[in-house]
Amino acid sequence: MTLARTRRIVQGLFLALFLFLFIQTESKGTDELGWPVRLFLDVDPLIALTTFLASRRAEGLFWPALILAGLTALLGRFFCGWVCPLGTLNNLAGGLRTTQPNSPGAGWFRVKYYVLLGLLGMSLFGVQLAGILDPISLTIRSFSLALYPAASFAATSLFDAIYRLNLPLVTPASEAVYGLLQKTILPFRQPWSAQGVFIGLTFLGLLALNLVQRRFWCRFLCPLGALLGLLSRRSVLRRSVSEECDSCGACVGVCQADAVPAGKDRWRASECLLCSNCDDACPKNAVSFGLMKGRPRGGLDLGRRKVMASIFAGAFAVPLLRISPLARPRMSDAKLIRPPGALAETTFLQSCVRCGECMKVCITGGLQPTLLEAGLEGLWTPVLVPRIGYCEFGCTLCGQVCPTGAIRKLPLERKQQERLGHAAIDKGRCLPFAHATPCIVCEETCPTPKKAIWLEQVVVKDRNGRPIRLQQPHVDLAACIGCGACEKHCPVVGQPAIYVTSAGESREEEHQILLQPPPVTLLPSASPRSA
Amino acid sequence: MKRRDFLKWTALSSAGLALPCGLAALGRMAHAARGPDLVVARGASTPQTVRAALDALGGMKRFVAAGDVVVLKPNIGWDRAPQYAATTNPDVVGALAKLCYEAGAKKVRILDNPVNDARRCYRQSGIADAAATAGAEMVYMDGRKYRDVRLDGKALKSWPLYGEIFEADKVINVPVAKTHGLSGLTLGMKNWMGIMGGARFRVHQRLDESLVDLVRVIRPALTVLDAVRILTANGPTGGDLSDVKRLNTVVAGTDQVAVDSFGATLFGMKGSEIGSVRLAANAGLGVMDLSKLQIKRIGV
Repeated sequence: MTLARTRRIVQGLFLALFLFLFIQTESKGTDELGWPVRLFLDVDPLIALTTFLASRRAEGLFWPALILAGLTALLGRFFCGWVCPLGTLNNLAGGLRTTQPNSPGAGWFRVKYYVLLGLLGMSLFGVQLAGILDPISLTIRSFSLALYPAASFAATSLFDAIYRLNLPLVTPASEAVYGLLQKTILPFRQPWSAQGVFIGLTFLGLLALNLVQRRFWCRFLCPLGALLGLLSRRSVLRRSVSEECDSCGACVGVCQADAVPAGKDRWRASECLLCSNCDDACPKNAVSFGLMKGRPRGGLDLGRRKVMASIFAGAFAVPLLRISPLARPRMSDAKLIRPPGALAETTFLQSCVRCGECMKVCITGGLQPTLLEAGLEGLWTPVLVPRIGYCEFGCTLCGQVCPTGAIRKLPLERKQQERLGHAAIDKGRCLPFAHATPCIVCEETCPTPKKAIWLEQVVVKDRNGRPIRLQQPHVDLAACIGCGACEKHCPVVGQPAIYVTSAGESREEEHQILLQPPPVTLLPSASPRSA
Repeated sequence: MKRRDFLKWTALSSAGLALPCGLAALGRMAHAARGPDLVVARGASTPQTVRAALDALGGMKRFVAAGDVVVLKPNIGWDRAPQYAATTNPDVVGALAKLCYEAGAKKVRILDNPVNDARRCYRQSGIADAAATAGAEMVYMDGRKYRDVRLDGKALKSWPLYGEIFEADKVINVPVAKTHGLSGLTLGMKNWMGIMGGARFRVHQRLDESLVDLVRVIRPALTVLDAVRILTANGPTGGDLSDVKRLNTVVAGTDQVAVDSFGATLFGMKGSEIGSVRLAANAGLGVMDLSKLQIKRIGV
């Protein structure tokens, strides 16, 4: 078996692992998932580095990322060539491009380093946008918020159509298959995604770039690839070319990156994905990989001015983003309801890598990606939309899957005191207030042990002056945690008669509305990522 | 149709048509000869208490025939552990499932349309585990299997209800007794909200009448009210153990109105204080007046 073949099998296994962990990012009725579902994010050094730089929080325990960084320094970009799920998907999509060869674009491979430097410059001054482009984050987000919901919708529509046709033999068979899929890979309930089209088309667009150049993303754009490239410049696992080489150029066309320029020993360690295609393709069998010392000849040559310009551009983006009032306390969007345990907004934005794990795991599907509700800096961060799904009282899963502690992992009793905001009643829409009609649904569904919604017995009159005895709901701010169960279930369709805003959210000192807000047991300061 | 059922149907439909209640009385007389109307069993061991209650009613074989598909409808509406009494006690559900199988049931299926996440409700209530032990199947509601049922009632003309309730050979209602902000208490009749699809929270505008409209078409073979623990405040969701009272009691009978009427007394109330009980009794769907019932109390 050739090395390239082994590599393809390993890639397949890692992609399968990635998908398996993705599927497992779903509740099974308890508050544990049972699998290390954020494994790929945990080992991602780009996420670790930018989160640390932006938030200056070291409690994240980034050691798995250090392991990958260390291995890369030794062995090179094996992660890109053998492990990365987006790399593998790019390989698969590369099959679309049937015309060979891949002529390496002049210096375009350097672009990803400028992208990386820009992101690092940004994070150095406190803006964390690396997650937008980080391949792991990007892939999980695209699956969570676009591809998986769309696939589920398509499958369900198909099986529903066959179910409705009620054909002999066919329908029972399709129902059996449907049942099996529901137990294995389909979501428990159809996920809805506010940004499905945007995120989905972006992802498909990235894969389509393989038509221009195979592994376009990995060659030219990927900031994680760039970071790993920087780390692997002095790796000891090296490519060497023997005297047999007659510079036929066969290896140049099969290279998955731009690691093998025509000159036979100008191999670029930083670009090599260790795919071993060049080894397979060499008619003279002159290529080999092995442990070697010394510095490879093919350098990066990024250019000092371009490096400085990239960092400066990233840094300049910080004040541009920060003059938006939306990220400021007391000026933020009232409907910007963050998940339970989210850090105060500024630190939250510095820590959230928009991977979409929380939105994937959210048991009611209420966590949705923002577009501009939190400013451009907050793009694709999670916001609770209670009309889609409320925050389930007994669930802490979003805090468990968050890779950076942007959503802290709170013990259940602590999470149940965490205020996401407060509910408010719209008396102009509420049935008992505005329409002399009985309704207590908000009170009924309120999950706090002492109900935060209480009912007042009143006698109101209808238009004919007839007295009607009914109950009118009131919100007790001392007990309301803003979970949104009331808003979700309010029978007043569209704009509900009871709704949650972030006013009173416990994470933001300046968002309190009571002089003495109800105490929330203080957090132990350490380890939001405790296993 | 069995003779007993026939008599009962005759009695009920006559009452429904507001014919002289002589016939209804006749039906009840025939009934009385068969044993008690209600059994109230109390004991420290819940499975034994359930078994004793069923024995006193004539055994599960009276309700479940060999080869039957039986649907148990507990109240699993909320994501709460059993000790909070917001959901039916899993031991009651498990014991009933076991009795059904002993009576020859082919399949026992357990379902509810919870308000909270169904996965969590099924598991946290302990009912999923109880079902697994008894060999019964937990059924997640399938959105395609609700069907519009004509009710022609006072409040509801028609409503999407879960089809299995009508397709099963036998249905057993297994509610838990707890307080509720609007209906006062939620007992057996209120438990049928858990088979409603659609915008069921609209029903609260005329809750009592709506429940009676449902009871007109949903005829369980048996109702077993779980009062092992009752929730005395902050219902129907609960969450505070100090609101829970342990009674170690189950109430079993075939008349849903009678079961609910008795259930009210567990909270120191009268059946007539519960709107749905009063309306259902007036509509001739069952008996509210406990003095007219033969109630057997047993200690286990």
